[in-house]
Amino acid sequence: MADSTAPARFTRRTFLGWWMAGLLTATVVVGLAPILVYLWPAPPKGQKKLPVTVALDKPLDQLANGEAVKFDAPTSPNTAFIMANGGGDNAPGALAFGGFAVKDTNGKPHVFAINCSHLGCPIAVNTTDSTFDCPCHGSRFHLDGTVLHGPATAPLSDLSWKQGSDPKTIVVDGLELGF
Amino acid sequence: MDWSSVSEVAIPHPREIQVAVVEWLDERYPFTKSVDEALYQRVPNFANAFYYCFGGMVFILIVLQLLTGILLSLYYVPDATGIPAPAYTSVQFIQNTVYLGWLIRGVHFWGANLLIIMVLLHMARVYWTGSYRAPRELNWMVGVVMLLLILAFSLTGYLLPWDQKAYFATEVTIKIAGLPPPPQLGEFIREILQGGPVVGPPTLQRFFTIHVFLLPALITLLMYVHFRFIRAHGISEPM
Repeated sequence: MADSTAPARFTRRTFLGWWMAGLLTATVVVGLAPILVYLWPAPPKGQKKLPVTVALDKPLDQLANGEAVKFDAPTSPNTAFIMANGGGDNAPGALAFGGFAVKDTNGKPHVFAINCSHLGCPIAVNTTDSTFDCPCHGSRFHLDGTVLHGPATAPLSDLSWKQGSDPKTIVVDGLELGF
Repeated sequence: MDWSSVSEVAIPHPREIQVAVVEWLDERYPFTKSVDEALYQRVPNFANAFYYCFGGMVFILIVLQLLTGILLSLYYVPDATGIPAPAYTSVQFIQNTVYLGWLIRGVHFWGANLLIIMVLLHMARVYWTGSYRAPRELNWMVGVVMLLLILAFSLTGYLLPWDQKAYFATEVTIKIAGLPPPPQLGEFIREILQGGPVVGPPTLQRFFTIHVFLLPALITLLMYVHFRFIRAHGISEPM
């Protein structure tokens, strides 16, 4: 420090100083590493994709045109549905914990994830107008999933499904959550 | 490699960086002075014996308990409703699934056991060297209160895993706590501790709150008082 005007040289002392500083840093890092490891999210246990069989309140073939039934993901074991497509807040592969089986006004069956494509709120059926209405921000959808009224811009997400062996059930692509 | 050119490169010694940082800080607040005043105390020769370290070991263990306790609270769910209860399954989750969860919980568990041993050794040393005598009686009293706090920590922490051992151990302790006559008083104490007519979810909620919020705050405060007393009196000379 005394002769700070002299050009700084990479001396043995400087080298040893950095060596010690490095050792100290390494010690701290090694000491804190277990905490970081502990904070790292644990692996999802027993999580696996599987077709989820859902019992509907009313069989799909008995639905009148423009009628929809709500269903929830079964909870023992806990499951979720996997969205087949989607825009806005929804995305292909995103999870939904409920859905609607619906026959649109032309008689075509659909199975939608329950989440509004605006910000993911659970939509509800409006039986008066035969629409899906979102209670959060007022988005509305036709029964075929297309947007009737914003703020949502993307249609509802489809779930991949097929008719179950029992006519009252449908089989939906889903995920066993493992908790 | 041509080291003569390297030797001209202006690489500072780490200490120069350290000094620069400390000087920057000291210009804004006298940190060095405060730290020096707090830490540079001469230790008398008679206090060099190993048994004068027990108190410091207790302090380190308490810091370790606070640290691992915070980490455990990231995963622990203080909810005893349902079978199996989330309180139980979350402990199993920490133990079996969380990376190094067994280690963090193990340190918390064994630290708690060691802590009681070290507290008793520290207390024995203070008694042995007569360090409780005037003018240090208040510090002895603070120490006794902290001993009770540590025992309360152990008692409340024992229930949190919500397994059979935890449940029935708490059943027993609450029964003992409810013994004082008259029976109405015992009943009152029991109901207050249990938060209901039996040991159940409200009991776990109460014990959790005491263990995680009340006791750490109290013991931190009392440790500060304890240390200020020590600094005020100095280390007592042996008898």
